[in-house]
Amino acid sequence: MSQPKASPLIYGAVALGAVGVIATYLAAGPQRFWANWVMWFVLVFTMGLGALFIAALEHLVNAKWSVPIRRIPERIATLLLPAIPIGLIALGALPVLYPGTRPEAAHHPILAGKAFWLSIPFFSVRTLIAFALVLVGLTVLVGGSLKQDTTRDPAFNIRARKFAPGFMAIFALVITVVAFDWVSGLTPEWYSDIFGVYIFAGAFLSGLAATALSVLYLQGQDRLSGVRGDHLYNLGGFLFAFTVFWSYIGFAQYMLMWYANMPDEVIYYKVRLAGMWRYITIALGSMHFILPFFVLVTRDAKQDPRRLRRVAFLMLAAHVLDIYWLIFPILGGKPLLGWPELSFALFFVGGILLWLRAAMEKGEDMPVGDPFLREGLEFRL
Amino acid sequence: MSAEKAYSVLGLFDTPDALMQAIPKVRAAKAGTVEAYTPYPIHGIDDALGLRRSPLGGMVLVMGVLGALTAFGFEYWISAIDYPIITGGKSPSSWEAFIPIMFEVTVLFATFTAGLGMLLLLNRLPFFGHPVLSSKSIKGITRDRFALAIEAEDESFDAAAAARILQDAGAVEVEVLPAPDRSPFLTSTYILRTLGGIFVACAVAGFGIYTLTKWFPVLRPMVNMQDQPRLNAQKASTFFKDGRGMQAPVKGTVARGYLPTATGTQDASATLVNPLPRTKEVFAVGRKAYLNRCEVCHGAVGNGVGSLTSAYGAKPANLQSQQFLDYPDGKMYWAIVNGKNAMPSHAADLTESQRWAVIHYVRALQRAQNAKDEDLKVVAP
Repeated sequence: MSQPKASPLIYGAVALGAVGVIATYLAAGPQRFWANWVMWFVLVFTMGLGALFIAALEHLVNAKWSVPIRRIPERIATLLLPAIPIGLIALGALPVLYPGTRPEAAHHPILAGKAFWLSIPFFSVRTLIAFALVLVGLTVLVGGSLKQDTTRDPAFNIRARKFAPGFMAIFALVITVVAFDWVSGLTPEWYSDIFGVYIFAGAFLSGLAATALSVLYLQGQDRLSGVRGDHLYNLGGFLFAFTVFWSYIGFAQYMLMWYANMPDEVIYYKVRLAGMWRYITIALGSMHFILPFFVLVTRDAKQDPRRLRRVAFLMLAAHVLDIYWLIFPILGGKPLLGWPELSFALFFVGGILLWLRAAMEKGEDMPVGDPFLREGLEFRL
Repeated sequence: MSAEKAYSVLGLFDTPDALMQAIPKVRAAKAGTVEAYTPYPIHGIDDALGLRRSPLGGMVLVMGVLGALTAFGFEYWISAIDYPIITGGKSPSSWEAFIPIMFEVTVLFATFTAGLGMLLLLNRLPFFGHPVLSSKSIKGITRDRFALAIEAEDESFDAAAAARILQDAGAVEVEVLPAPDRSPFLTSTYILRTLGGIFVACAVAGFGIYTLTKWFPVLRPMVNMQDQPRLNAQKASTFFKDGRGMQAPVKGTVARGYLPTATGTQDASATLVNPLPRTKEVFAVGRKAYLNRCEVCHGAVGNGVGSLTSAYGAKPANLQSQQFLDYPDGKMYWAIVNGKNAMPSHAADLTESQRWAVIHYVRALQRAQNAKDEDLKVVAP
């Protein structure tokens, strides 16, 4: 056990951030406040959901290598618990940010047809159903796994293996609904079928990056003995593969719209390629694809803790930039980055860190009740 | 020391553990290159043997990048330099359109490098036969025994000493493999000779056939469809007096449906009678032709307010005016064929029956604006 010496600093940052968050609402206006709030809700939710996806993936494909590190994504998945109240508060953004909920929408040629779908009651009901489904997944996969630490009952593995395929369908539904409603619902005249997959790619990447960072953090405290470069290699390989997947989806979405050149579609990119946003778009492409691609392409980079840590930090930053790039252009031409955004970042990053520090003490560091733990520890590339 | 030169000395072990334990001892003796042959891959054996990392990954990376650059350069040269055509309103040098091809060519170059580089360059396939394949131990090596070989590096190799080293390391059986009288691998001389042979064979065959058919015209291999008794377009022919293969149509030739009509003055044509019956089908033809050819100037109801001209202040004939209500069908027909005032001739656009159908339709438009009481009578179907 290491000493939590950084905690006062984090508490201070969170307190400072909280003051800034409240000041944002009072001084910078509700629009900016809610844009920041929705962005951080999406970030916290996607990180938790991505981590839960990693845990479910292991049961789905019957993977053995990830058993020793499975507790880490399970702990990160508990971020979904604070994400739910954050999301409930974010419902306050509906009348402010989401054009589909405004009364003018009834006379809009496109929005009128979707009026019921976009209305505040149905929007909220969908979000609540998504939260309930997520809680079911969290209870079965994470709760069951934590219970197995004491019971040592292999029945959990069988139950989880049967549950995982169904959970994948739930997961796809939840992340699509959240992506369509909360992110692409900001521009309801614009739609893209692939958008849910795009958000999924980012969510999985942020879950993976958080997992890799936490594994390295616990390894630094000598709490994951037996986890070696071979396990890190797989995490790095996943990171590598899904940076490519993210860019594939992102570019596929862009290219089709660019080719068709339909005004209601290209406006989404037109806004993001004008003025300062152009440089942010270029930075996003470089940070989310080009840089991690060439950093992670070698075998050593995936096994070396120092390089993996750097890339994982980079991926988290890129994911934040990605969600910022999706949400903030609705506030107007110029990218907003001032004290409100910094206070939100302080508040939420500090909050996530505090939550994860506490979560890292949940249960054993490895799923000691899992019968496949030994096989996972013996994993060689 | 035997007079016969040895290629390598094989030592056989019963278990992979025994093999792994022997490797450091044998390597420490430094008697030659140490190589292992096992029925299945053994974890950690490449590290134990001190094998260098395969250069294949680097080769694939270089070739992949080269593939991307090749595709980009080629596409850029084709579409922006050599033959720039604007398609879909995009700039000829749009990088977005190049990405799919770049992706494909990158994958093509990378996979070919990986496959062929592994087989041909690194594994040196195809070869004539490896000494190990003709050893007595090969059956065991491919089934349940594990072999360690000390390969001769130069003339000073001592097979007996190598055999002793292997036995000291715990080999249960030792076999000296005699060196083959020539290299089992393809040498550059061999490759050059093979390729040269193929080239010479092709050249001889091609030149031979050419000479034979030239000197002995009777010999005509493959005469399928070579001579055909027809005249080709744009080619000379002795059949016609003017020596051309293509002949102009006889003077006065008329295409079907385009008989020259209304050739005299407009007044002379006034007596022409519309030959078409007033049926639903004829009105449908007339409506379609009117909307295609007449509506832009004369307007959808024939009032001279066309969808195109009205915006530019032009004043086409108002077919609803008294002048045209009294106009005989024949004069209207003449105007369609020959054009009138600013109106061009539509003889080339409309067949004879389409012109008459248009006139029926114009009459219907006029009647619709000047309906009579008896039009309200319900006609029995």
